[in-house]
Amino acid sequence: MRQPDGSSALLTTRLEAMLAWARKNSLWPLPFGTACCAIEFMSTVSSHYDLARFGAEVVRFSPRQSDMMIVAGTITDKMAPVVKRIYDQMAEPKYVVSMGACACTGGFYRAYHVVQGVDEFIPVDVYVPGCPPTPEALIGGILKLQELIQSGETQYDRLKP
Amino acid sequence: MTVSSPDTATPNPLARFIPGSQDLKVITASDGFTEITVDRSRLIGVLRALRDRPELDCNLLLDVCGVDYPMNEQRFEVVYHLTSLAKGHRVRVRVPIDEDDPRVPTAYGIWKAADWFERETWDLMGIRFDGHPNLRRILTHEAFQGHALRKDYDPEKRWVLTEAETFVPDWVTEADDEEDFETQIINIGPSHPATHGTLRIVARLDGEVITRAECEIGYLHRCFEKMSETHGWAEVIPYTDRLNYCSSMINGVGYALAVEHMLGIEAPPRAQVVRVILSEFSRIMDHAVCLGATLVDVGALTNFWYFFQPREEIYTLLESCAGGRLTVSYARIGGLAHEVPADFEDQVRYLLGYIPKFVDDVDKLVSTNRIFRGRTEGIGAISAEDALAWGWTGPCLRACGVPYDLRRARPYLGYENYDFDVPVASTGDSYARYLVRLEEMRQSLRIIEQAIDNLPGGPVITDNHHAALPPKSKVYSEMEALIWHFKLIYEGIKVPAGSAYLATEGANGELGYYLVSDGGGKPYRIKVRPPCFAIFQAYPHLLDGHLVPDAIAILSSLNIIAGELDR
Amino acid sequence: MRPVTTVNVDRPRRGLGEWIYLGPIVKGLAVTLRHFLRNFFGQRDVATIQYPEEVRQYSERMRGRHILTTKEDGSLRCVACYMCETACPADCITIVAEEDPEATVEWEKLPVSFEIDLLRCVFCGFCVDACPKQALVMSRKHDFVFTTREEAIVGIDELKQKGPIEEQDLGYRPYY
Repeated sequence: MRQPDGSSALLTTRLEAMLAWARKNSLWPLPFGTACCAIEFMSTVSSHYDLARFGAEVVRFSPRQSDMMIVAGTITDKMAPVVKRIYDQMAEPKYVVSMGACACTGGFYRAYHVVQGVDEFIPVDVYVPGCPPTPEALIGGILKLQELIQSGETQYDRLKP
Repeated sequence: MTVSSPDTATPNPLARFIPGSQDLKVITASDGFTEITVDRSRLIGVLRALRDRPELDCNLLLDVCGVDYPMNEQRFEVVYHLTSLAKGHRVRVRVPIDEDDPRVPTAYGIWKAADWFERETWDLMGIRFDGHPNLRRILTHEAFQGHALRKDYDPEKRWVLTEAETFVPDWVTEADDEEDFETQIINIGPSHPATHGTLRIVARLDGEVITRAECEIGYLHRCFEKMSETHGWAEVIPYTDRLNYCSSMINGVGYALAVEHMLGIEAPPRAQVVRVILSEFSRIMDHAVCLGATLVDVGALTNFWYFFQPREEIYTLLESCAGGRLTVSYARIGGLAHEVPADFEDQVRYLLGYIPKFVDDVDKLVSTNRIFRGRTEGIGAISAEDALAWGWTGPCLRACGVPYDLRRARPYLGYENYDFDVPVASTGDSYARYLVRLEEMRQSLRIIEQAIDNLPGGPVITDNHHAALPPKSKVYSEMEALIWHFKLIYEGIKVPAGSAYLATEGANGELGYYLVSDGGGKPYRIKVRPPCFAIFQAYPHLLDGHLVPDAIAILSSLNIIAGELDR
Repeated sequence: MRPVTTVNVDRPRRGLGEWIYLGPIVKGLAVTLRHFLRNFFGQRDVATIQYPEEVRQYSERMRGRHILTTKEDGSLRCVACYMCETACPADCITIVAEEDPEATVEWEKLPVSFEIDLLRCVFCGFCVDACPKQALVMSRKHDFVFTTREEAIVGIDELKQKGPIEEQDLGYRPYY
C-alpha cells in the first residue's frame, strides 16, 4: 500500500496484513550455496537448529518453487550471470538473504574474480555477517526478514511499481 | 646453513638412470625431492624415462605449475612434481622458459593427469603446452583477459562476464549422424542441488543415457594463490581454512607444516598430537558430509540427518578449542594458536563413545540394502592403472585397490606411532568408495583414541620468535617480546629463500603445498595441489554410457569440494 | 617407516536373503523406529535447540563481535598503533589517529575514529592476537544482522565497552 505521495507505508489493511503473515511464515528457501556457508546452511536445516520450525521446511533448489533466495557463499564473476538468471526466474514476491561475508561484500577476497557483494546486481533484503555465520545468526536473519515482510519494508515492496 | 638449502655435495642416487644426466643439473632438494633442471627440448625424453625406466617408475604425476620470476633472465619456470608409489621417491622437474616464447611440450601423452593442471598453468600464467588436446581457460571465465598469477597483474582487476559469453563446447552444435533419434544437450549445474557446490557438466543425452560430457569448473575460483601473495605468511591461514571447508583443520595443519619445514623449526610434541586429534576429527566430519550427501543424492535422506549429529558435536569441540565452528584458523606457524581448554580430554572421550553409534546406524541401514547396492555397484568403476594415470589419490584410489596413504607412505606429525589399518576395496566403483570412507571413519576413531591416551604436556607453540608471536603476558611487560611482536606483525615471518613441496593426507587425498619464498615476509608463490582437481578431470570419462542419476551418484561419491577444486 | 596394514572392505553379495529384501526392510525400520519412539515418548534424543527462545551457550573462546575495552576512567585503551589494521587479512579495520591531549609515556596516541566493517570481517581473531594493549577483544555476540551495508560499518560508539568488564559477554581474548 502506498501513500498518495508515493512513499512506502506500513501495511494498513487487514488483508495485506494477513497476506504478509502468510508469506512470512511459509518462506521456501532457495539455498544458492556455493561455498562454506552452504555447509552452515545444511547445519541450520539439520536437527540441531531446524529451520523447518519457521515454515522453511521445503528447501527447493528450483527458482520457480521458492520465494527466498539465500546466497550462501562467495559469488565469482563466472557465477554472476547464473545468479542473475536464477533470480530473474523466481516468481514475485521474492526476497534475498545474503549470508556470510563473501556474499555481502566479497569478504577478504579483494581479488580479480570475486564479486564484491552480491548486491552489485540483485537487491538484497538482509545481510547476515560472519564467516560463516552461526546457524543462530542465519535464523536471526530470517526472523529479521519476517519482520520486514510484516511491515512491508522489503526490497520487493520498494521496487514493485 | 639453513634447512632450506639443497644438498649439492653428495650425488643423487637416481641421477644415473636419467638419460643425459651428465649435462643436467640433478640434485637432492631439502624436502627430499630429486630435482632435475632441464631445457624444454629434452623435457619429453626425461619425463618418459621417469615413467618408463623400472628404477625410476614414477607412475603418479602430482602437479604441474608455473612460477613467474620477472627478475630472472628466463622469466617463467614450469615445475612438475612426480612420485613413484612402488619405489617411494619423489621427483621435481624444473623447466625454465623465456618470456617471448613461453611454450613447453605437453605431458598429456605420458600421464593423463597433466590435462587440467596444464590448462590451469595456461590460464593463470600464460604458458602454452604444445600438443594439449584442449588448451582453454579453466578457472577464470571466458571474458577474462590477461594471466592472473603473473607478477604484473593487478590483484583487484576484474572483468565482467555477460551471459552471452558463457562457454559452450564446440561439439554441442555438431550433428551426431549415427543416432536415429535426436540427442539433447543439457547443463547439469552450476546451480543444482546435487552438484555439491558449483560444478557444471555439459552432457549430450540420448534418452537418458549420457553419450558425451564435458566439465566446466572455476565457478568458485577465489584467487587463493594471488591472495597469498598479497598477505603475510601467517595471514594465509584463514584462507587455507576455506580450501576444503568440510575439514578445515587439515588444510591449515598442512600449510603450517610446509612453512615450518622451510623455516627449519618444529612444533612442540603436544601441538603435534593435538593437531593429529583435530585433523582426524576433521576427516571424520568430511567423510560424514560426503556420505550424507551421497545418500541424499540416491534418495536416502535419513542418513543425512544421522550424520549431521556427530558433526555438530565435533563442532562443539572445535569451537571450544579455537573459537570458530567451521573455519577454525587454529593452526599457527610453529604450533597452535593457544592451549586447548581444560575439558579437552573429556570432550574427546565423550565423542569417541558418541560417534560410533551413528556410523553403525548408517551401516545397518544402507550398506547391505539392495536398492543402494543397485544404485552404486558397478557405477563409475575405474581400474587402478587408469586411476593412477589420472593422478588420483586418497579414498577414491584406495577403493581401486592401491593402498597408498600418505600417513603411512611419508609419515608426518608422528603418524608412524599409531596403529591403524588402511581400508582398501577392489572394485573401484561408487559402492567401494562408500565402504572405504565408512571404514576410514572407524580407523580415525582408533587413531584418536591412541593419541588422546598419550597426550604429552608442554607448550603448544614454539618459542622461536622468528616464527611465532610471543606470549601476551611477556608482550605486556618485557621490551624484547614487544619488539618481536611488532616485527612479526608489521614485517611478517621472514622465511628463507627457496622452495619446498610438502603434502599431507587430506580427506580426499594428497593435499600438497608448493611454497616458493624470496626471503621476504610475504609468500612469493604458493601452489596448492588439490586432491579433487585430479579426481574430477577423470569424471567425464567415467560417465559414458551411464544414466543421468548414475552421473549424480558417481559425482557425490568422488567428494568434489569446490573450494579446493577451484581454490 | 611402518609397513602398511590394510583391511579389505569389500562386501560380497549374500544371495537370496539380500535379494528378497525383507531382512533389510525390517532392520532399517527397526533403526528408524527406535529413534522415533525414543523421541516420541520422553524426547530423549531430540537435539533441536529452540532458538530464539532457547540459546546455546558457546565457549569462552567464541569469536563474535568486537569490543574496544576501556580503562577505569572510561577512556579507550587503544593507542592507535595500527597493529590490528595491519594484521587483519580482510583489511576491514580503519583507524585515524591523533595525539592524546593528556599524553603520558604509555598512552600517547588516541584513535579519533576506529571503524570495523562487520560485513567484511571474517572473525578470525587475528586483530585480538595482534593488539599489544588488550584494547580489542571479542565477545560472544554472533547473531546480529543488518539491512543495509552502511549499517555494518561500526565506529567507536558501537564498539566501546559499555559497563564493567565483568558484565560483558566476553569471548575470544588473550589467554597468556
